[in-house]
Amino acid sequence: MNTYWRKTVFSALLTCGLTVSGYAGTEDDEFKERREHMVKNTIELRGVNDPATLKAMRSVERHEFVDDHLREVAYADRPLPIGHGQTISQPYIVAAMTEMLQVEEGDVVLEIGAGSGYQAAVLAEFVEHVYTIEIVPALAELSTERLARLGYDNVTVKEGDGYFGWEEHAPFDGIIVTAAATHIPPPLVEQLKPGGKMIIPVGPPMQVQQLMVVEKQEDETITQRSVMPVRFVPLTGER
Amino acid sequence: MTIIRKFSEAASRPSSIFPAVFLISAVGIAYQVTLMRVFSIGQWHHFAYMIISIAMLGFGASGTILTLIRARLAGRERQAFYLSLVLLALSLPLCYVWSQRIPFETFHLVTQGDQFGYLLGLYAVLAVPFFLVSTCITLALFLVPRRVGRVYFTDLLGSGLGAATVVGLLFLFPPEQLPYLLSVPLFLLAGWIGLGMGRRWKFLFALCLGAALFWVGVRGLAPIRVSEYKALSYTLQFPDAEVVADAQSPLSQVKVVRSRQIRETPGQLGNYPFAQLGALPEQVGLFFDAGSISVVNRYDDDPDTFAFMEYVTPALAYQVVTDPRVLVIGAGGGSDVWMALRHGAQEVTAVEVDPSVFRLIETELKEFSGDLYGRDDIKPVTAEGRGFLQSQGEQYDVIQIALLDAFTAAASGVYALSESYIYTREAVELYLEHLEPDGVLAITRWLKTPARDAIKMFATLVEAAEAAGIDDPGAHIAFIRSWNAGTLLLSRSPWTEEQVSAMRSFSESRGFDMAWLPGLAPDEVNRFTLLEEPIYYESARAILSADRDGFYENYLFDVRPATDDRPYFFQFFKWDTLRVLMRDMGFEWVPFIEWGYIALLGTIVQGAVASAIFILLPLITLARRTETRGARRWVVLYFMALGLAFMFLEIAFIQKFMLFLTYPIYAVAVVLTAFLVFSGCGSFFADRWRGDRFPLVAAAVGGIVGLTILFTLVLPPLFSAWAGWPDWARVGVSFVLIAPLAFCMGVPFPSGLQLVSDRYSAMVPWAWGINGFASVMGASLATFTAIHFGFRVLVWTAAAVYILCLPPLLRLGKRSDVA
Repeated sequence: MNTYWRKTVFSALLTCGLTVSGYAGTEDDEFKERREHMVKNTIELRGVNDPATLKAMRSVERHEFVDDHLREVAYADRPLPIGHGQTISQPYIVAAMTEMLQVEEGDVVLEIGAGSGYQAAVLAEFVEHVYTIEIVPALAELSTERLARLGYDNVTVKEGDGYFGWEEHAPFDGIIVTAAATHIPPPLVEQLKPGGKMIIPVGPPMQVQQLMVVEKQEDETITQRSVMPVRFVPLTGER
Repeated sequence: MTIIRKFSEAASRPSSIFPAVFLISAVGIAYQVTLMRVFSIGQWHHFAYMIISIAMLGFGASGTILTLIRARLAGRERQAFYLSLVLLALSLPLCYVWSQRIPFETFHLVTQGDQFGYLLGLYAVLAVPFFLVSTCITLALFLVPRRVGRVYFTDLLGSGLGAATVVGLLFLFPPEQLPYLLSVPLFLLAGWIGLGMGRRWKFLFALCLGAALFWVGVRGLAPIRVSEYKALSYTLQFPDAEVVADAQSPLSQVKVVRSRQIRETPGQLGNYPFAQLGALPEQVGLFFDAGSISVVNRYDDDPDTFAFMEYVTPALAYQVVTDPRVLVIGAGGGSDVWMALRHGAQEVTAVEVDPSVFRLIETELKEFSGDLYGRDDIKPVTAEGRGFLQSQGEQYDVIQIALLDAFTAAASGVYALSESYIYTREAVELYLEHLEPDGVLAITRWLKTPARDAIKMFATLVEAAEAAGIDDPGAHIAFIRSWNAGTLLLSRSPWTEEQVSAMRSFSESRGFDMAWLPGLAPDEVNRFTLLEEPIYYESARAILSADRDGFYENYLFDVRPATDDRPYFFQFFKWDTLRVLMRDMGFEWVPFIEWGYIALLGTIVQGAVASAIFILLPLITLARRTETRGARRWVVLYFMALGLAFMFLEIAFIQKFMLFLTYPIYAVAVVLTAFLVFSGCGSFFADRWRGDRFPLVAAAVGGIVGLTILFTLVLPPLFSAWAGWPDWARVGVSFVLIAPLAFCMGVPFPSGLQLVSDRYSAMVPWAWGINGFASVMGASLATFTAIHFGFRVLVWTAAAVYILCLPPLLRLGKRSDVA
C-alpha cells in the first residue's frame, strides 16, 4: 500500500515538474504572442492608434503585474483583482487612457493610485518620468519592488494620499487618476501645466463606464469631456 | 414535581400543537425579515425578493415531500413534528452561518460561472429553515385534521405577531444576532414538548441544543459577509479607516467610519480655489446598510469651514433667494444644512427619516460636528420628508432635496425596485404647495451614463408644474450640471431677469453647464463638461415641446415621470434598452446599468422554474391515485389563484399605506400584522362555520371585490385628509381600514383546505405547497405589474383573480357531493 502511494506521488510530482519546466522554456514567447494578440485584436480594433502607446502596450509584460494564478489570463481584456479590493484595469482602458493623455518623450506624469504598477510601466516606456502615489501600503511596497525588478528606473512610487498631488514635482504635463470620488481633487487641477491633461475613469471599481478628460487651457480655463470607452449612441429613437 | 408533571401532561395533549404553531409561525416570519435585512446589508435591496422566493421554495418543497411520504408517516406525525421542530431550532443559526460563508457576489454572476453554483447553494441552505417551518405547520394540520381553520388561524396570528415583534427586535439587536436569538424560543418550545416524548427524543433535543451551544461557544457569532462592491467595503480598504461607532434601527444599520480619505461633496466642486481656501474639513462617513454614504463635517467655529459649499451645483438655489427659511429633506450628516447656513439661511428645518442619524450626531459625534443639530437656527425632525410636509402647513423659501443615494449605487441601477415617494409628480406638487410665492424647490441628482436620471427629474418637474396650474413651466425651471451631478430648480413664480442673470453668472464662474434656463441659446450649452451631444438641453427642449410623448416613446430609457401609482423613479428599463445595450456594450456590462430590473426578472424565472418542478413532481405521483383524479386541476386553480391574489393585495396595500404611515418599515409591519391577524380571524370564523362553504366563500369574495374597488376610490383623499394625525391615530385607522378586507381574505383558503382535507386528504400538503408557490410568484409578479401598470391595475387584477377562484371551488364542492 505504502509503495503504491509513494509511486503515485512520485510519478505525479515528476509529471508536474516536467510540465512546468517544459512550459517555462516557451513562456516568454507565448506571452509575447498573447501581447501581440491583445494589441491587435482588442486595443487597435477598439480604436487606439497612437504608435507610442501601442509600442508600450506591446513591450510591458502585463503577466508580471498580476498574481501567479492569474498569469494565464493576464492578457484577457478585463480587469483583474490585485488584492486589497483593488484591480488592475483592463488592457484596453490602460491603452485608451495613455493615448488620451497625449504625453510624449520628455514629459513628466503624475499617477494617483499605482496599484499593480502596470499603468506607470506603460507610461514609463516613453515619458521622461512617472511619479506615482499609492495609498495602500502593501500595494505601494509591491509596485516599488516590482518596477525596480523590471528595470523601470524612471518611475518613483510614494506611499500616501494622492488627493493633494505631489507638490515638489509639480507642475505635470499629464495626470492620471485611477479612482475618483464625488469631485475631482482641486489640488490636482492646480498642479496641472497649462495645456496639460488629466484623465479620470468615472465609476466604481470593476465598472468603468466612461473616462473623463480634464483639460487646462493655456488661459487656465478648465474643460472636461466624457469619453466613452464604449459608444452608447444612438441614445434616441429612430430605430 | 407537580408543576413538572403538569407541564409534561400539557405537552402531551393534542392541544399543545396550537401554541407550538403560533410560536413557529412567529419565528418563521421574524427569521424571514431578518434575512431580508442581512442581505440588504451584505448585498443589495433587491435580495429581499430573493428571500421571499427562497422562503416560498422551502414551503413548496415541504409540501411536495410530505405528499410523497404521507402514507409512511401515518401514526408517527407527532414524532415527525418534534423532529422538525428540533431541527428547525438548530437550523436558524446554522443556515445563517453557512449562507454567510458562501462567496456569492452578485456583480460576478455574468462573468463567473461558479457564481451560479454559489447562488444555488444560497437557495439550498436558506430554504432549509422555511422547509422545516412549513413541515411543522403541515404536520400540525395532520395531527388535528378536524381543526384546519384553527391551525391556519393560529399560524396567521403567530405570523402577525412575528412581523410586529421583529421590527422591535431590530431596534435592539443587529440583524446578525437575530438568527441566534430567534432559535432560543424554539429550543424552549422543543424542551417543553419534549417532556411528553420518549427518551430517544429527549436525547435528540439535548444533542441539538448541545451542538448549537458548542458552535456559538467555539465559533462566536458570525458577521454578515458584505459585498466588496459596497461603499463601506472599499472605504475600509483605506489604511487609516476604522469603524468608530454604529447604530441599529429597522430602517438601516449605520456604521460610522473615520478616515482622512473620506472627502464627499454634493457633486463636483467647480473651480474651487484650493490654494486660496484650503482643504475640505475633516469628515466621517455614515454608511447606511454598508452602501450609501452621508458625511458629517468637522466644525470648530471657523466660519470659513464651509466655503466649499459655494462651489457645488446645489448652491444654485441660494443665488435666487435672500435670508431664506429652508427645509432640507434627507438631512443626513448635515452637508446641505451647512450649505443653507453658509448662504445666510435664517432657519433650517432638517428632516431625516433614519432615527439613528440624529442620535449619533447628538451623542458620539456631538463635538466633532460642532453640535450641529443642537444649534438654535436648526430644527431637526425625524420623519419621512413627504409625511412631514403633509402633516403641517409651514411655507418655505427653499425646499432642498438632498442627494440621498450613493453615486455608485445610482450608477448600477440597484434601486430600480425601490419605491420612492419623494420623486413622484404628486410629491413635487406637494413641495410647490409648501413654497412661499417666490420660493424654490431644489433637487440634485447624480448624472448617470447614458443620461436618464436628471432627464426624468426634469420631466417630473414640468408635469408637476402643469398639474399645479403653471402654464409655462419652462419659465419656472432651471437646470445646471457638473460632470457627475445635476441640480434642478422649480420656482413658484416665473424667474425674473435678475434671477436668470444670477444663475448664469454662478454657473459660468463655477464651470457648470447650463442645461435649461429661460432664454438659453444653443451655443451657450455644453461648454465645460463636454458631451458628445448636448443631450440634457435637447431633452429639456423636447419635454417642453408639443411632442413630449414622442420623446418619451423614442428615448432609450423610461424617463416618464414617476407617479404615486407607479412610484419607481429609479426604474428606467425598457426592453429596447436591453437590446441596444447588449449590442453596444456586450452582455457583461448590462448588470451595471439596470441591474435591479434584471434581478426581478431573474426572480420571476427562478420562481417559475421551481414552481413547475415542485408542483409537477407530486402531480405525477398523485396522478396514479384514482381518488384524487378530476379534483386535481380544480385544486391547482383554486389555491394558485388564492396565493397570487392574496400576495397582490398585500403588496399593493403595503405600498398604499407607505405614504400614509410615512415610514416604509412601519407600513410593512402594520399592514403585514393587520393582514395576518385579521385574515386569521376570518379563518377562525370559517372554521366555526357549519353551513355550506360555497356561499360563505362567495360572500367573502364579494366583500373583497367591493372593498378593493371602494378603497382605490376613497383611500387617496382620505389619506390626504388624515395626514396630519398623530402616529398612533394613523396606525389605528390603518388597522380599522384593513380589518374587514383582511377578514374576508382569510375565509377562502381554510374553507377550501377543509374541503380538500375532508374529501381528498392526500392533497392537503399539495394544496398548501401550491399556495406557497403562487405566493412566491405573486410577490415578484406584483412588483412587475406595479412597475409597468401601477398599483391601481394591480389591485383590480387581484380582485379579478379572487372572482376566478369561485368556479373551481364550486366544482370541488360538487365533486365531493358525488363522491
